[in-house]
Amino acid sequence: MENKIEISDLQVHYGDKSALNGISFDVHPNEILSIIGPAQSGKTTLLKVINRTLEFTPEATVQGSVKLDGVDIDTIGDVYELRRRIGMVLPLPVGLPLSIYDNVAFAPRTAGLRTKSELDEIVERCLQQAALWDEVKDRLNTLGTKLSGGQQQRLTIARALSHQPEVLCLDEFSIAIDPVTTMRIEDVLKTLQTEMTILLVTNLVQQAKRLANRTAFFLNGDLIEIDTTDVIFSDNPANQATYDYVNGTFG
Amino acid sequence: MNSMTTRAERKQKIVLQSITFVILGVAFILMWNVLIKTRVVSMQAVSAAPLPNAMPTNLFSDLYLVLLMSFLAILFGIACAFYLQEWLPETNWVRRLIEGLVAILTGIPSLLFGILAIGIFFSYAGTLKMIGGSPVPQNAEAIPVQHDTTLFYAEALTFILMVMPVTIKTTQGALHSIATPIREAAYVLGASKWQVLKRQVMPLAFTRILAGGCRAMSRAFAAAALLIGIYTWHYTTESGKMPGRFMLFLSGALFLSVLSSTLIETHRSSGRNTVNLPR
Repeated sequence: MENKIEISDLQVHYGDKSALNGISFDVHPNEILSIIGPAQSGKTTLLKVINRTLEFTPEATVQGSVKLDGVDIDTIGDVYELRRRIGMVLPLPVGLPLSIYDNVAFAPRTAGLRTKSELDEIVERCLQQAALWDEVKDRLNTLGTKLSGGQQQRLTIARALSHQPEVLCLDEFSIAIDPVTTMRIEDVLKTLQTEMTILLVTNLVQQAKRLANRTAFFLNGDLIEIDTTDVIFSDNPANQATYDYVNGTFG
Repeated sequence: MNSMTTRAERKQKIVLQSITFVILGVAFILMWNVLIKTRVVSMQAVSAAPLPNAMPTNLFSDLYLVLLMSFLAILFGIACAFYLQEWLPETNWVRRLIEGLVAILTGIPSLLFGILAIGIFFSYAGTLKMIGGSPVPQNAEAIPVQHDTTLFYAEALTFILMVMPVTIKTTQGALHSIATPIREAAYVLGASKWQVLKRQVMPLAFTRILAGGCRAMSRAFAAAALLIGIYTWHYTTESGKMPGRFMLFLSGALFLSVLSSTLIETHRSSGRNTVNLPR
């Protein structure tokens, strides 16, 4: 089975400070890979490398290679096309200054889709998947920035799904969402697994345990351990630090 | 990073630059035509009537000039600010030079601009006319033409110096306030730089840009007051004394100054409140 993403010897520096020190691992197609680890361990930086938004940080330098479907992402000429293939949910929910409908229809429209019926269908499907449809279906034309924090976060999830990405990266998607709604979204993620590969960065260790097929543990820019979730959460993972973090001894 | 500049982006850059230059060109031609025409109208008034009657004609043609010039200068200033802020890196020497000059020019009170107009532009009027060519009709030898064209250049240059820096500075500030994490929300959806600017940055920054335009406009009102001052000074020295009218125009100038400072205050506060940044 060919790997969806291959990362080899990836190093990222912010100026003199090292954020990722030469990590290598593969992401299998149609798996949920959760990435856990304390703050400053390079989780978000990794996601930014994958969709090449790290390029907006001028002081960041990247070495090593990231391959998507066997193609090095640095050689992809149309970076916007690359970003459309990767759905990204950022931890800070930012509503575009557009209506709720236009927020979700933004990505399909930038990709060139203009048919009203198709857009309607996408908007309804994505908002339902993000567990937001019932709350906003009567006011799709109000401004997306007027929603509450948790609703905006679900709106960003709906936006990330709207361009039917091959890889969905979720960075702390549930920090502002209540537990019940989080469970609904987690169920959706499990069903979406058949269509796409999911990278889940989370501070909630239990969420990783519930959802992920495999789990990677990052610490201070190093990949300490990557294995099936059962092994990581068992009594004897390969590294003691993993056991300590997962069981709450530190972190 | 080099890989960021895709072909599409380079194309957009070229299109934007050429649009800017076209606007600049059209603005220049428009200003030129209007200025020549208003000059001719006021000169007919000057030639047909004794000096005191000519003053109001000049005044109104110049108020019209104020509005037109500040509108064009604001448009061009916004275009400049977009180019400086969004396309040139912060370390670029052109950007640093322009930002330095803008900082100096916005710091100068409008009163000094009036003195500048009298002191510098009047003194070097002959040189300016040689560069720009004289818009004076041939049959006008009898009229004190030289001073009219001088006034025109003094006004035009003073205006550009006053309105453009304010517009550039406020627009740059407005664009700067839309930080990268906010823009990333659109970038991760595969939007190009142009789409991000149009669909996300522009709506968020628009109110502040508009407020900046209003501030520049109000500065132009203050300038109008000063120009009246210049006129008064010019015509009183030309025709001997004219104390009654002098007082009239001085009070007009005062009124416009008050109006301008009120405008500045109201728009400064509304500009601060209307940009909604996410928490």
